[in-house]
Amino acid sequence: MANMREIRERISSIQQILKITNAMYLMSSSKLKKARKSLESTEPYFYKLQSTIESVLEHTPHIRQLYFDRRQDIPEDKRKKGYIVITADKGLCGSYNHNIIKFAEEELKKASDIDNCYLFVMGQVGRMHFQKRKKAAKNAFVDGEFLYTTQNPTLYRAMEIAQLVIEKFEKRELDEVYLLYTDMVTANVQETRMVQLLPFSRRHFGKAPDGTLKKLPKASFVPSPEKVMDYLIPQYAKGIIYGAMVEAFCCEQQSRMTAMDAATTSAKDMIKDLSLLYNRARQAAITQEITEVCAGANGLED
Amino acid sequence: MAKKFHLEIIATDRVFYEGDCEHLVITAIDGLLGILYGHEPLVTSLPTGELKYMVDGKWRYAAISEGFIQVMPESSIILADTCELPEEIDIKRAEEARERAEERLRQKQSIKEYYQTQAALNRAMNRLKISQKHFK
Repeated sequence: MANMREIRERISSIQQILKITNAMYLMSSSKLKKARKSLESTEPYFYKLQSTIESVLEHTPHIRQLYFDRRQDIPEDKRKKGYIVITADKGLCGSYNHNIIKFAEEELKKASDIDNCYLFVMGQVGRMHFQKRKKAAKNAFVDGEFLYTTQNPTLYRAMEIAQLVIEKFEKRELDEVYLLYTDMVTANVQETRMVQLLPFSRRHFGKAPDGTLKKLPKASFVPSPEKVMDYLIPQYAKGIIYGAMVEAFCCEQQSRMTAMDAATTSAKDMIKDLSLLYNRARQAAITQEITEVCAGANGLED
Repeated sequence: MAKKFHLEIIATDRVFYEGDCEHLVITAIDGLLGILYGHEPLVTSLPTGELKYMVDGKWRYAAISEGFIQVMPESSIILADTCELPEEIDIKRAEEARERAEERLRQKQSIKEYYQTQAALNRAMNRLKISQKHFK
């Protein structure tokens, strides 16, 4: 029979954990509300940006431009690839971090030469993970200067990140830049996604979702296609990064809320089971005591 | 009455305007640009500046920061970082931002920082200018 004191201690410790998980649940649900709101207000921009750029490219004459340069002179295994990975700052959010990190590692495995991979990790958890891996033999380079939080995404942060990767691309320190994030498909379905940021290609737009691409006469660009593209693409990169940040933050809060909700429920279940055990133990102890007293009394009589 | 075209102005944090418009005047990289119904397809980028559009014979003004516009004969789309009505501008905040940017410009900084500060200063000045011009 389990010790009564032991059970009592366990119950009180579980109760304390329950308080914490419940508080975290409440906090993340209020944060989620905020994140949802910003996601809703950003989504029109995010989608419109993609569809507009797509139709702009439809109308663009073929131009030689820096951001379109696929750098085919560099062989596949010599290309320097940059990955921006958006993870969370904190743990305790179910499989959210695990999924995105696993996804990033799979992508890294696909790369032909890991020495030419550069990681730009947003969020504490992912950074810790990839930096720790650094000590192992073969690993991607993690930019230690790239310190950005994923809490409350701002346009300014997105701009800084966009400028950083574009500058590296211009200096030929990077030949390809990808963005990895978690996308919120519906409230309960999350999906890890990878988007190619640079070099900018028409291919990854493909067809419009409804399969109708309006064929229109070529648009004119003021002052020149090159000038406009010079301006448009950093703008686009910024918009995409911002959108991804908002999506990822919303996903993080959602998964934390779900995880904490599950933790609270299972803590309650445990307390229920344990209090049953406790009562049983208490009852047993009382019964035993009565038996002892009776036995003692009987002994005296004899 | 002038023919109307569809105008969408979308900022990163909201849909600023969506509806019909008779006349649109934007500040492009190299100067003002007026757009009426049936304009030829055009794409250009918009620096921080002023924007005005006419709805039902009345001009409406807005402060816009960095974006681009896609013009089609029957519709136009403006995508911008931020877009505000003159009365929405927080003058105090803009003034503070201007002072901060001016102070930073006096310090020694890298070229990248210099550009960023300059852009911040531009945004603040633009907001102040527009709110003073149209909202008293």
